[in-house]
Amino acid sequence: MLDYWDHILPGFVITMWLYIWALVMGFFLGLLLSIIRQYGGWVISRIATGYIELVRGTPLLAQLFLIYFLPFSINAILEAQGLPFIPIGRWSFHISSEILGRRITIVLLDQQTLVGIITLGLNSAAYQAEYFRGAMSSVGTRQLLAAQSLGMSRLAGIRHIVLPQALRRVIPAWSNEASYLPKYTVVVFYIGVVELFAQAHYIVTQLFLTLITYSLIALIFLSLITIISKALDSIHKRTSIPGL
Amino acid sequence: MLRIADVWKSYGNLQVLKKISFEVAEREVKVIFGPSGSGKSTLLRCINMLSPPDKGKVYLCGQNLMAPEINLNEMRARIGMVFQHFNLFVHLKAIDNVSIGLRRGKGLPKEEARAKALKTLARVKMEDWADHYPAQLSGGQQQRVGIARALSMDPDVILFDEPTSALDPELIGEVLQVMLDIAKTGTTMVVVTHEMGFANAVASEMIFLDRGIIVECGTPQHFFTSPKSERVKRFLKQIDILYGRHEELLKLPNEEGSK
Amino acid sequence: MSDIPDLPTIFFYILRTGLPATLLLTAQGLLWGFVLGLSLALMRVYGGKVLGWIASGYEKVFRGIPLVVLIVLFAFGIPGLFWFIDPIERPLTGVFLALALRSGAYQSQIFRGAILSVNPGQMKAARALGMSRFQAFRHIIFPQALRLSVPSWSNEYAVVIKDSSFAYEIGIIEMMKAAYRVTSNFPELWALSMGVVAILYFIFTYPVTRLFGERQTKKLKELGMGGG
Repeated sequence: MLDYWDHILPGFVITMWLYIWALVMGFFLGLLLSIIRQYGGWVISRIATGYIELVRGTPLLAQLFLIYFLPFSINAILEAQGLPFIPIGRWSFHISSEILGRRITIVLLDQQTLVGIITLGLNSAAYQAEYFRGAMSSVGTRQLLAAQSLGMSRLAGIRHIVLPQALRRVIPAWSNEASYLPKYTVVVFYIGVVELFAQAHYIVTQLFLTLITYSLIALIFLSLITIISKALDSIHKRTSIPGL
Repeated sequence: MLRIADVWKSYGNLQVLKKISFEVAEREVKVIFGPSGSGKSTLLRCINMLSPPDKGKVYLCGQNLMAPEINLNEMRARIGMVFQHFNLFVHLKAIDNVSIGLRRGKGLPKEEARAKALKTLARVKMEDWADHYPAQLSGGQQQRVGIARALSMDPDVILFDEPTSALDPELIGEVLQVMLDIAKTGTTMVVVTHEMGFANAVASEMIFLDRGIIVECGTPQHFFTSPKSERVKRFLKQIDILYGRHEELLKLPNEEGSK
Repeated sequence: MSDIPDLPTIFFYILRTGLPATLLLTAQGLLWGFVLGLSLALMRVYGGKVLGWIASGYEKVFRGIPLVVLIVLFAFGIPGLFWFIDPIERPLTGVFLALALRSGAYQSQIFRGAILSVNPGQMKAARALGMSRFQAFRHIIFPQALRLSVPSWSNEYAVVIKDSSFAYEIGIIEMMKAAYRVTSNFPELWALSMGVVAILYFIFTYPVTRLFGERQTKKLKELGMGGG
């Protein structure tokens, strides 16, 4: 079992890789969505709301397959029309090195990984947007009014007064999303990204140690999530506003 | 300095302000009072366009704020506002609450803004609390910072929206004292308040607002000795009972010298 | 299925073949999750140190493990776990168990939050009327907590119905698998079929979270429940 560390290690790296991309992408996109939803005009705030609700109301797996299948479907249609189609798949960026006498290759980006990152990012953005919006509305309109009374533009008020407060307030709720996001990265296994769970699958086919292998994976996720949530907790304590 | 002409404002079906007109001269202190729901706060927000009037005109130094080409942010930087609930920026220290308007509204460099903020905090006797966050201050202290925040911008006029009505009684005096000091320096002020002692001490004219219309205006002398309308008489009696006059809280101008 | 399916065909195929399993999985997961979650919440609030510690440990473990890992663990990982069940039914039971155990951990949090947000004055008032601690919980605290938990609970329903799509892995024909199947021979329809199934899930989640989420929260506030 432990002899398969050269599978578990790259699997773990890919899981973390997906996690970080999804978190960062979800953060910026989510922030943008929440600002649009909260402060945008009627039409674009409705669009943002629609996106958020749609993503939150549908399974991650369906979103993943939808994005993954899209180029295939488009190609099939283009092909039927006799048109040139998009080349799919045959590319990848990977790093490879010799560790303790084993050759370890990690595919950082290929078609599947890209689809995985995009899906997880788009999905997390909708959830993060809701947390941001909650924090923004808890800051209240009074703060923005006060900013405007000092001659700041609405945008400056959002940027310098509302956001700094909202970002501090959002930390507890956001930590929740951030700490549990690693476990959702598992879905990309379904489109063939070789992350931790896919590696476990492979090990099971080799060793038939189903219980031990999957338990080990469960334990790795559990520890990872616990560590992240502890770390974010301590950040929260350090950034809180005195007296509040 | 400030002229409000024929201002109307409604929220949905509710007509909050009806045909309001008055003028505030330079160095004048205008006190607006009246029952709750009479439109006083709305009137202040119409003046700095935080909620623009439906129709009418608001002139600041001859410029009509309702004109489409006007830069409202620039104009608001010239109209200070002190809020009932202070509305201090809770994530910023007192000093930064005062300096942020100078930096982001007026575009002053950081150090200059800071120096000026500190000086203004001294004017409201809050310089020792510069590094405290709003939540670490009492209500009275917070409101003094709020006043300093408005004052630091060197505005043409400062609007006060019931600055003491959210305060515990024992904290009202320190805020009124600061307002009195500012009035003495010749700052143009429009003050919505129930503090008749303050009005009596500094108001050049008082306006009684009820259900969106100006019922009566005149000097404090006029209101406290011979108000015309029945509504004003009744209201003045009520607030005497509810709030008292807090005259004892104010060191009136002539007593100041004995300190 | 040799003809190219059109949109209504796809839609109704997914509903007809997939919906029963999806609803069954969701109902089972929610029901057993409810029983488990409520017990865990009671352990945490009233159970003292040891029981509380056990319940909170349970929550941490089952919230921290990806559902897919739970599913394969229960469906394939523990041989002999379901010796009393027909082998054909075993994977399905594994999914039930995974959904229920995970949902239990979340529902425990929901009920614990709801119990704690019932105004503490309510317990005091009930005790002052001569009720025992248990009576006070049974007649005063619990009915309020149940109502307070409705908004989060409707959210949990949406989570479980969406999560049931992972049963796909095990070969149960729920909506996801049905959607995958109906167009499997027609690549040009793959994306469409996923879009359709996504919309179907949305139809089953959004109205519920909308109705019992925001509206209920508002209604509870008007009644003055919670907080205090």
